[in-house]
Amino acid sequence: MQQLLNGVFIGSIYALFAIGFTLVFGILDRLNLTHPAVFAVSAFVGIELVADAGLTVWVALPIVLFLGAVLGLVIERVAFRPLKNRPDAHFAGLISSIALAGMFIALLQWRYGPDTRRFPAGSFPETPIEFGGVAVTVLQVAILFISVVLMIGLTWLVARSRLGRGMRAIAENPTAAKVLGINVDRVTSVTFAISSALGGVAGALFAMNVNSAQLGMGAAIELKGLAVIIVGGMGSLPGALIGGLALGLAEVFAVQYIGSSWRDLIAFGLLFLILLVRPQGLFGARKVREV
Amino acid sequence: MLTDATLTFVALGAIFAYSFYAVLVAGQLSLGQAGFASLAAFTAASLTPRPSEVGEIPALLIAIVIGMVVGSAAAVVLGLPTMHLRGVFLAIATLAFAEAVRILILNQEWTGGAQGMSVPKVLTPGIAWAVLAVVAYWFARMGRSRYGRALEAIREDELAARAMGIDVGRHRLAAFTTAGAVAGLYGVLWAYYVRLIAPEDFGFTAAIDGLVTAVVGGSTMFVGPLLGSGFQTLIPEIQRALGVEAGWIRPFVASALLLIIILFLPGGLASLVRRRIRMPKRRMGTPEQGLQTRSHPAPGELLASLEGLSKEYGGVHAVENVDLELRSGEVVGLIGPNGAGKTTLVNMLSGLIPPTSGLATVLGTQVGRVPVHRVAKAGVSRTFQHSKLFNRLSALENVLVGGHLVSRPTFLRRLLWLPSARRDELAALDHAARCLERVGLYDLAGSRASSLSYGDQRRLEIARALASDPTLLILDEPAAGMNHVEANRLSDLISSLAADGLTILLIEHNVGMVLSTCDRIVVLNFGKVIATGTPDEIAADATVIEAYLGSAEAGTRPTDRTEGSHP
Amino acid sequence: MSRTSPKGSGPVLVVEDLHVAYGRVEAVRGVSFSVDPGSLVTLVGANGAGKSSIINAISGLIRPKSGRVTFDGQDITRTPSHRLVGQGLVQVPEGRQILGTLTIEENLHLGGWHVGGASAGALTETYERFPVLGDRRHLPAGSLSGGEQQMLAIARALVARPKVLLMDEPSMGLAPKVVDEVFRVVDEIRTTGTTIVLVEQNARRALRAADHGYVLQTGEVVHSGPAEELLADPKIIEAYLGVEATR
Repeated sequence: MQQLLNGVFIGSIYALFAIGFTLVFGILDRLNLTHPAVFAVSAFVGIELVADAGLTVWVALPIVLFLGAVLGLVIERVAFRPLKNRPDAHFAGLISSIALAGMFIALLQWRYGPDTRRFPAGSFPETPIEFGGVAVTVLQVAILFISVVLMIGLTWLVARSRLGRGMRAIAENPTAAKVLGINVDRVTSVTFAISSALGGVAGALFAMNVNSAQLGMGAAIELKGLAVIIVGGMGSLPGALIGGLALGLAEVFAVQYIGSSWRDLIAFGLLFLILLVRPQGLFGARKVREV
Repeated sequence: MLTDATLTFVALGAIFAYSFYAVLVAGQLSLGQAGFASLAAFTAASLTPRPSEVGEIPALLIAIVIGMVVGSAAAVVLGLPTMHLRGVFLAIATLAFAEAVRILILNQEWTGGAQGMSVPKVLTPGIAWAVLAVVAYWFARMGRSRYGRALEAIREDELAARAMGIDVGRHRLAAFTTAGAVAGLYGVLWAYYVRLIAPEDFGFTAAIDGLVTAVVGGSTMFVGPLLGSGFQTLIPEIQRALGVEAGWIRPFVASALLLIIILFLPGGLASLVRRRIRMPKRRMGTPEQGLQTRSHPAPGELLASLEGLSKEYGGVHAVENVDLELRSGEVVGLIGPNGAGKTTLVNMLSGLIPPTSGLATVLGTQVGRVPVHRVAKAGVSRTFQHSKLFNRLSALENVLVGGHLVSRPTFLRRLLWLPSARRDELAALDHAARCLERVGLYDLAGSRASSLSYGDQRRLEIARALASDPTLLILDEPAAGMNHVEANRLSDLISSLAADGLTILLIEHNVGMVLSTCDRIVVLNFGKVIATGTPDEIAADATVIEAYLGSAEAGTRPTDRTEGSHP
Repeated sequence: MSRTSPKGSGPVLVVEDLHVAYGRVEAVRGVSFSVDPGSLVTLVGANGAGKSSIINAISGLIRPKSGRVTFDGQDITRTPSHRLVGQGLVQVPEGRQILGTLTIEENLHLGGWHVGGASAGALTETYERFPVLGDRRHLPAGSLSGGEQQMLAIARALVARPKVLLMDEPSMGLAPKVVDEVFRVVDEIRTTGTTIVLVEQNARRALRAADHGYVLQTGEVVHSGPAEELLADPKIIEAYLGVEATR
């Protein structure tokens, strides 16, 4: 039971992160590989805000959200918009976002040095709450709560709002969207902003969960995020949510029964399996596209 | 500045980049090379006898052989199940593979776990560069072979490559295996230089580094990886020379350069090097020497028969119950309004899509049951409604690929500079030149396909389709976008091709052109055949006119009109 | 339901010497015409004649190589499509382009993108006029038949309260009975005073509905005139089939 909860906690962070990939892939049919760098940047900035600026964690989070959004706008403008009509747009988009990610991480190294950073002691309440034989910390509950709120908010946005309709229209048929008078560039920018904002919060929450941030954390979560969206279905929001939870739970149980050194392999095992058996993922409806 | 270490790393980096080149040249975004290298390195290091026992060079050679075999095997293991993945999906799957290998090795006893394995240092810069020269030679010779061209064709347009008779699956697997072997080679050389190998050396960062080198260098010419590696190694050297010593600058500058290159110079540094285009010399002499031409059926023989052919998409009948026969030597036109099903019908005929029901036998092959390249092999050749040329290749190279089925494989013989290879190549070049001449494009043989005018591009597609010495030539809207003059010229060309004995199926919207060029015309509407006959019969057929212009029934026009418009 | 220009105010849409090219292919070579408010003008011609290119250039989906497009007196040649819908220039695109994964009602809301969605009044009007859409308003639009999708595409465009409606081959791929219905709707829209520019391959049908017609062949206007006259003119057959008309 304890394990179940642990799986849910980490799974919700995975889901929050993976949603960023899904949103961009849904609307642009491209993979934004700068996303993991945003994850890492937000973690470091979050720590700095708490450690150096003396803000509480709960104030730092909205700032990180905002920072993520800004980074998203930058990423769209620099790495994706210039490639819009090129025939090799898919491949080039991968490379340009990898390049931008490299620049972000290098800048992180410049500002924070190569070492691991941590939140100062007492940044968050440590007291565990006990019920039904399991112990959870306030922090973990908070992480879950924030993740769930954000995901619900996003789901509502996509399903009910005018912006969400526009996003879905562009995802299905960009030409039709233009005919309808939708400003495709603007909606795309906003999508990137939302996606990176969520990724940024995921980064900060992750850093809080393990109380550390390293330069390599982006790379570490990148493949997991990719595994989540492949398993859940690229471009599918519920797929990212379910996939994230599934991965979190699978990892926790794998560690329990197989051993921690094999934990990371779980993601790839699932990934490979799905790619071979059902490439469109559990919830994906689209054909596997060619570059 | 150029220390032994730098020189060696440039060579090693280039070799690793070649393992990416091997798949990128075929357009496959496979990123698992680090995994191949890792497996090869550890296996070779543990199985090879110590240099102190057998000598340094023999040990290295044994290690290389083991490494390359392991690398190739790993590549096949990865390549087979991912056969149908493309683009982003393939990239993710292969990246995951590399990561999985890393974790696997991390957890094994015999590899030393996270500590790694120590390996005697055997490699010198001289050896490294010698090996690099061999690898570069391999890829250089590959470029102009039939095999190399086929890979490039797959990269440019996979479907068109299939239609030219190229077995994409086999070629792709071959590319993967090559990548595996080269990556394995890199892994072994790396191991025997750095003295200590750990799983981390072949992790995510290394994988991305290799990709970056390949992209910066470019994958359209064999010098790409070399340029890329040299360039990548230059940066820290320049940095050191400038006295700037900060850990973050190198990755920042490298990434920024990658961004600039992909945005502004997508072909990489290699695209700055002019691609030498081979031009054929005019030769007399028997054309068939060196080519594997086919025999053609006698005039009047049945070539294709379609019985009750249908294609349905979720309840909508794109093609419904079509019966059709094609006989050798005919020029048959297929016309009908927009959405009538012409292209769907032709796609079934050429084997691109399977029918939902009915039977289609073309040149003895049941199309719809066999892969596209087999249909091409049977003697069917086609052009496409939306130009599917190999854009970055020259006109001549496009036609050379078209001749894939009739030219002989030359790669292995080219490696040995055998004169018979040269002879076969010249024969292929001659043949291609003649096809270009046939459509009037000989003078533009050296031009990039994408730079040709639209009319010339349409003609180039025909030249490419002719190159396979087809029995049945299908032309899908070849005159689209042409004006009267160009359309007439095209009509003349088609007639002259027919005079040579080619059977031609022509889809066109330019009905006038069809009426004047074809022996027999089939009219489609809503997926069904509504009329067949000679041009005269069709031109006078009321149902045909109605299909295009709408019913001639006089309906009542709404009468309360108060405004009109004026030109 | 639609916006109209005051009578006698001159043409609402003017196209002057329009040239459209895709790379090196000249699809439209110097086409000019104008449309009076409240009229129905049709552009007919064989496939590949350039009709859709003209419409797409007017609505801002593609940039013309040269020439001028004026809408209500304003030069809109280089205006992007997302601004024109709000100004009353709405297109019903070729092949319908409805969003199959969204519900019918969501599609209609998208028609009113510029005003934040379809108003309750607009929705009611739509469902009255197209009852089949009302019955299935919460079903995905992809479940509709071809003809119903065409109705949805038209309804969606009407939600935007267009001044000028550009219709690109509404009868394509539809059975004759359904085509009748489509043209019935077109006639109905006309009675509300909306100006319509209709592109069609089915020339006779279009000319029966129109006031004025232009016949296109390889990107140029080869005939034009009042629709009645064109209907009776055998030269149309020639423009389509490239042969002397025998009837």
